[in-house]
Amino acid sequence: MGSRLSNIILLLTLAALFFFPRFVESPYAFHIMILLFLSTIVGTSWNIIGGYTGQYSIGHAAYFGTGAYVTMVLMKDKQIPPWLGVWAGVALVIIIALVIGSICFRLRGPYFVLASIAVAEIMRLSAMNLKELTNGAEGILATELPAFRIGGRVLTDFVSKTPFYYISLVLAVVTIVVAFLVLHSKLGYCFQAIREDQDAAHALGINPTFYKNAALVISAIFTGIAGGFYAIYVGFVDPATVMSLDISVQIVLVCIIGGIGTIYGPLIGSILIVPITEALRSNLIAEAIFKTGMVSQESHFGSFLKENLAHAHALIYGILVVLVILFMPEGVVGFQRKLWSKWNKGLG
Amino acid sequence: MAILELNHVSKSFGGLAANSDVSFRVEEGAIMGLIGPNGAGKTTLFNCITGYYSPTRGEIVFRGHRINGLQPDKVCKLGMVRTWQKVRPLTKLSVLENVMIGALCRTNSVKAARELAARQLELVKMENRADFLAGGLPIGERKKLEMARVLATDPQLLLLDEVMGGLNPTESDDIIQLILAIKERGITQVVIEHDMKAIMRVSDRVVVLNSGEKLAEGTPVDVVNNQLVIDAYLGKAISDGTV
Repeated sequence: MGSRLSNIILLLTLAALFFFPRFVESPYAFHIMILLFLSTIVGTSWNIIGGYTGQYSIGHAAYFGTGAYVTMVLMKDKQIPPWLGVWAGVALVIIIALVIGSICFRLRGPYFVLASIAVAEIMRLSAMNLKELTNGAEGILATELPAFRIGGRVLTDFVSKTPFYYISLVLAVVTIVVAFLVLHSKLGYCFQAIREDQDAAHALGINPTFYKNAALVISAIFTGIAGGFYAIYVGFVDPATVMSLDISVQIVLVCIIGGIGTIYGPLIGSILIVPITEALRSNLIAEAIFKTGMVSQESHFGSFLKENLAHAHALIYGILVVLVILFMPEGVVGFQRKLWSKWNKGLG
Repeated sequence: MAILELNHVSKSFGGLAANSDVSFRVEEGAIMGLIGPNGAGKTTLFNCITGYYSPTRGEIVFRGHRINGLQPDKVCKLGMVRTWQKVRPLTKLSVLENVMIGALCRTNSVKAARELAARQLELVKMENRADFLAGGLPIGERKKLEMARVLATDPQLLLLDEVMGGLNPTESDDIIQLILAIKERGITQVVIEHDMKAIMRVSDRVVVLNSGEKLAEGTPVDVVNNQLVIDAYLGKAISDGTV
């Protein structure tokens, strides 16, 4: 009964998302939805290594940035269309994941976390300094995209946001489906056994190094694809936006807030975080406050809000994380499950 | 025929010798008791045999393979698996899933693993606990879960590290019955235990460790009457025949 209900909700949600572009015109709404899907993709893929396997990588910017850079560089320098270039990015990301894994998975717990940060920083500094390839701190700007053709017919020229919307929606759905399938396969059980107790898992015939590397590679592939998509969507990459520690931390926070190790956790986390931070960043909230008339735009406080609220998204992250850790240590999804089982017990 | 053979196995940590020159053979299908005072090196020996430590010297032979330094997962695939003195349930997984992890050692199919795991739970009489979270079980059931989990790996040799520790007499008795039932299936077992009554009841042979060295070996009756063992470990009452 419960699963039937959730299947219906799932189908309705998917249908609503599919028809969303028919009813909404604001490019800003599209932008937020695309960022939300993107955040869901990277959160869900982080969850495979962090949530299921228990290896808290705080270096996923390395994969995101690599996917972004490879796609962008191939498009700008070699005129390779991004939907092909991204696969070169994925190949490189797999190699990097295996190198990182073979080094860092000798370490456990906090040492692994520190090593993952260090490796991502090495990648960022490389992007910063390999100027011939990456144009250093200035970054790479792409002003137009090649049109996507099938058999000579132009399918889309990527001028509007609609194609990006559908691409990111499909990627998000695929990522969640893959994460679900992985979780319910032998891989998923081995991942979880390692998370719960690596030594006990090892004794039961599970090779921890192999399965941790497998989890990292799966996770890195989707993060890399997301990076490639982001580069093309925004049309700009530089070390600060695609390789920074900020990105790595945001990926983890989305999962912590939504619920680590749950299928829908990253999606819920993204729904909670992305719209608020985007609204703050583009000063929508300050404008909304002025509209209510509570604060005048010309007043001292008004200009303070106007100048500073845009930078408050970090503060919102902070507050959300503190609230979640205090009141829902297993994230929103974990909290909802707890409520649900209490409710059921109350009925029984 | 010996399924497991230890030849002059030594393990030292820096200058500290945890095991020195330990040799014995475990016959196929038998139950070998491994006893000795705390700190005698019993668990270290288990860690060497199952691949968590590599012995400093000596040789461990399992079913004709020299397994020194072989990783625990490979050792498990060869057919030898251990339980832990301090139980290690995978707390956020269900009881059935815990056992499935063991079964997945032999199959890639989750469905097959689920069926195999359900059979092991029946053997330890925990089928009604299948959907409980392993973290919520009381100690007696945790120990049984640990047994079901290792059995699911389809082993030929089980190393049981104090599976009766911390149990009340009824629970201990359940475990003794279980050990004997496992023997019926032809699975060889090495049992570390402090409960001498249990050791006397289940073991075919007993090895006594003291300060890392083998002090004595023989049938349970030989061992409890051995003056060296009485002095080092048992004390007087047991050899008087009160057991």
